[in-house]
Amino acid sequence: MNTVNQPSLANDGGIPARRAMIRWAWRLFKREWHQQLLILGLITVAVTATIIGAAVARNAPPPANSGFGSARYSATIEGSDPRFQSEVASFSKQFKPVEVIENQILRIPGSTMTFELRSQSPHGIFSKPMLTLVSGRYPLTGGEVALTPDLARNLDLKVGDAFRVGGASRKVVGIVENPQSLLDQFALVTPGQVEAATTATILFDIPKGMSLAAGNIGKPAVSASRTFLIPRSLTFDGVAIQSASKGSAGAFANPETISVAGLALGMLLIALVAVGGFTVVAQRRMRAFGVLESLGASDKNVKLVVKADGVIVGVVGSLVGVVIALAGWLAYRPVLESSSHHLISVLAVPWTVVVASMLLATVAAYLAASQPARSLTRASVAASLSARPAPPRQLHRSAIPAIALLASAFVIVWYSGKQDSPGLLIIGLIFLVAAVVLLSPLFLAALGRSGRRAPLALRLAFRDLARYRARSGSVLAAVSLGILISVIISGVAAVRYSNPLDYVGPNLAPDQLVLHVSGPPASAVKLGEGAGVPTGSGRAKSLGASANSIAKALGINSAVELDSVDANLRHAAQGRNWMGTIYVATPQLLGEFGINSSEVSPNADIVTMRPGLSGESKMQLIYGSNLYGVVAPPGSSQAYSCPTSDCLSNPVIQQIKGLPSGTSAPNTAITETAVKKLGLTTFVSGWFMQASKPFSNAQMTAAQQAAAAVGMVVETQNTLPTSSTIISWATAFGIALAIAILVMSVGLLRSETAADLRTLAATGATSFTRRNITAATAGALGFLGAILGTAAGYVGVMGWFMSGVQGGGLSAVTNVPIENLAIVIVGMPLLAALLGWLLAGRTQPSMARQAIE
Amino acid sequence: MSFVELRNVYKSYGDGAAKVDALRGIELSVEPGGFVAVMGPSGSGKSTLLMIAGSLEEPTEGDVRIDGLRLSGLSRNQKARLRRRTIGYVFQDFNLLAGLTAVENVCLPLELDGIAARKARAIGMAALEELGLADRSNRYPDQLSGGERQRVAIARAVVGERRLLLADEPSGALDSVNGEAVMRMILSACKTGVAAVVVTHDAHLASWADRVVFLRDGRVVDQTNPPPSPESILQPSTGPNEPSL
Repeated sequence: MNTVNQPSLANDGGIPARRAMIRWAWRLFKREWHQQLLILGLITVAVTATIIGAAVARNAPPPANSGFGSARYSATIEGSDPRFQSEVASFSKQFKPVEVIENQILRIPGSTMTFELRSQSPHGIFSKPMLTLVSGRYPLTGGEVALTPDLARNLDLKVGDAFRVGGASRKVVGIVENPQSLLDQFALVTPGQVEAATTATILFDIPKGMSLAAGNIGKPAVSASRTFLIPRSLTFDGVAIQSASKGSAGAFANPETISVAGLALGMLLIALVAVGGFTVVAQRRMRAFGVLESLGASDKNVKLVVKADGVIVGVVGSLVGVVIALAGWLAYRPVLESSSHHLISVLAVPWTVVVASMLLATVAAYLAASQPARSLTRASVAASLSARPAPPRQLHRSAIPAIALLASAFVIVWYSGKQDSPGLLIIGLIFLVAAVVLLSPLFLAALGRSGRRAPLALRLAFRDLARYRARSGSVLAAVSLGILISVIISGVAAVRYSNPLDYVGPNLAPDQLVLHVSGPPASAVKLGEGAGVPTGSGRAKSLGASANSIAKALGINSAVELDSVDANLRHAAQGRNWMGTIYVATPQLLGEFGINSSEVSPNADIVTMRPGLSGESKMQLIYGSNLYGVVAPPGSSQAYSCPTSDCLSNPVIQQIKGLPSGTSAPNTAITETAVKKLGLTTFVSGWFMQASKPFSNAQMTAAQQAAAAVGMVVETQNTLPTSSTIISWATAFGIALAIAILVMSVGLLRSETAADLRTLAATGATSFTRRNITAATAGALGFLGAILGTAAGYVGVMGWFMSGVQGGGLSAVTNVPIENLAIVIVGMPLLAALLGWLLAGRTQPSMARQAIE
Repeated sequence: MSFVELRNVYKSYGDGAAKVDALRGIELSVEPGGFVAVMGPSGSGKSTLLMIAGSLEEPTEGDVRIDGLRLSGLSRNQKARLRRRTIGYVFQDFNLLAGLTAVENVCLPLELDGIAARKARAIGMAALEELGLADRSNRYPDQLSGGERQRVAIARAVVGERRLLLADEPSGALDSVNGEAVMRMILSACKTGVAAVVVTHDAHLASWADRVVFLRDGRVVDQTNPPPSPESILQPSTGPNEPSL
């Protein structure tokens, strides 16, 4: 009987066979899971970090509806406004239904601290999410009150005690809090119990059929034509209306998507490392696979065992990661609540990220296991039975596809910048990664050829890397991608920070302080809209005296007056435009930074420290009516019209390096000559102070209080990093990632040639030779990874910036400090070699603990 | 009609100066129920012969037929199907799969052939019962003795009505008592119509076969029919009380 041609059964044994293979894979995993600890650990750490990171990023900011409850809009009316009652009535009539919350600010007896006596219904139609009961009950009558925990503690009151304020006594019946803001200290009374409201907050929604477009409910605060410069705000009957933030949930780049994107990249690196891990495990089980094939298992069945192992590792690793992440979340949530000052639900975990991270981990492990699964079935059954690994697959790949991919990546990234298309940018980056993966084996082949005349250890290491490049290629790709990420971050930071128009970076140095007359101007257009006081006026003199007094208290001789003008710079082209304040280059200001007035060219209109600004073409100095006359959309020729009456085309800009670099410091100033020439009006917008050492917290607090007392605002250093900080961190990150990959992978790669090492040992080679081989392997992979990653990173960055999307030139790419590149290309491989040498002290584990008995 | 036929089979490894001829013009046929022992010194090509007869290795030249099917005309998957339905292997070092119990090892070829797990397990249990291993069915290989492991391996090789049993030094890792018990089981299988080819170094065990083939340097140098019947010589009481298949 010809049994082979029986049609009744599928070739591969169908479901029973697959079930048997999966069962065996699971049993093998249970027996030998410790052999896969490395991959399990990597997946666990990645999933844990992603979930906790996403949970913190999602929950740390105040809730999107903080202060609004379930309403979409709110308006606050001052109690001192004579139209208080009529405004409330007017809102109630226009936006039915509305909810009014009245607040009376009161002082805690014997303290400078204040709290609010708040009349609010616990069952308000909009404010319900702004109130929770901690203990006791809500007040029901005018003689009852509920306090927030901090207020109760400050007043030393508990439920049942009497709360006396303003001559009235109320019984404390409960402890309440605002879950959206734990800093909110108030005493809750029933609606209508606040007799002298300081403010009233009106919560409301826009009725259906009505929009907040201009004209429907009132006049916009700023003209629609300028909304591209100033955030839109609206008023109703002269009262400003705030709209609730939609939060980041609907945005594409919300914490969840960023976390998942980061995890996807991380999983790609893990998958590249895991290929080596699964290969070694598969080789250890080679005889067992041979037996399986001798029993009649098809290639598909054998592949299934290895792939199922990958899935099991992915699922188990991600499950452990999820469990650790959830435990970590439970432990960290109270800390986060305390630091973010709002209640966070136990279940406020980004579940989509949990599911996505598990899926990504499983898919990554499956894909990583697929490669050794394919190579296993290339060996003959007899070779498998004798545990003879198939000879390393010789990859004779052409460089053409890799180079074509690299070129395509460049073009796509460039085009994505031109089209402002994030989708194209992602495709370009995928091409870039694919090019790196394809180029890796080619680099290793070249390395193998280059080591022909090298000493024994180097020669062996290089040849093994080249022989086993199907495996070592994935490790090299992983190292290269780590460096590529670092280089892209560094390149983008270098170019972004070098843009002289839209200047970014820390606002001030830690020993600098700016006193603003009425807050830091948000944009240049706001200049003249109350951001300053007339120069020489009594108010200016009075504020100047206060500023000098604050300066003296800070140990500074005198504050430098910051004069501004009703003029601004503009770049008459698309892309990033001028951002910043132009101060007047008074002799006092220049002298503060050691600049002599004679250093300023008599022809100069503008002096700046921003490198490259003096070389910018299409610059305009706009003033007068033109300053507020941008009516056409940006980009159209009309938007950049430059009539000589109120616009100076191509002003002479002189670079003076002595000016400070902070974005809020006077880094750019108009010369007094230009002020006179153009007939500009100057006004005092603030004072600049330079101390000899960084300010302490106490000094800053004292300055803020003193400034607030005279209606001024203090600006001190913010937390924005400098470009060198970002580049240094990116460099450290890339090196750490590359080293971690090498430390985890080189042992796996060397275990493939364990038999060779045993032969070497038998012929008299010492551990010194073994150490040298491992060091050379790690160093070579590190060096090639640094070269490949850096080159690919620059291709991507150059493509992006050649599109002109950042408004900067391609030359800005060279702003990445040479020492950072040297550390990556030279330092990292040396460190890898050193670690390889140190960690190679242990003898290689024997190849086979066979999974057969 | 022969169940296994090897005609003018050559097998070489390597190229040029490194070329090794493992088999040179082998002619061998085994009838259904026939029991052939293959003997020869190390490197004579015994194991290669077994591998080729069992479709685990491709001959460099020549023709191999199993149950009338030419192996050279079969794909990898068709050969796999042939192995799980027709050919059973017994290895010197048992080669039971760790992680699977005795009965799971036995019924694995059946499951690979698409038989549902429950049914396959029942068949596997029956095979183990016949070999006196029912009470060891749920033990893992490392919980069994050497003799028990080899009996499980034989059960796995013959389960599912397979008709060709190939054994490579099946008693090599066993003591003489267990070794003879194994040979007795193979002989019992042959009595049910299974063709068996057994590679052995042990002339005494080879005397159990219907025919002994001697290999040297890849060539068949002699074939004999051992005169005495092993069963008539051996005392049944000397081995463990093994049930026959």
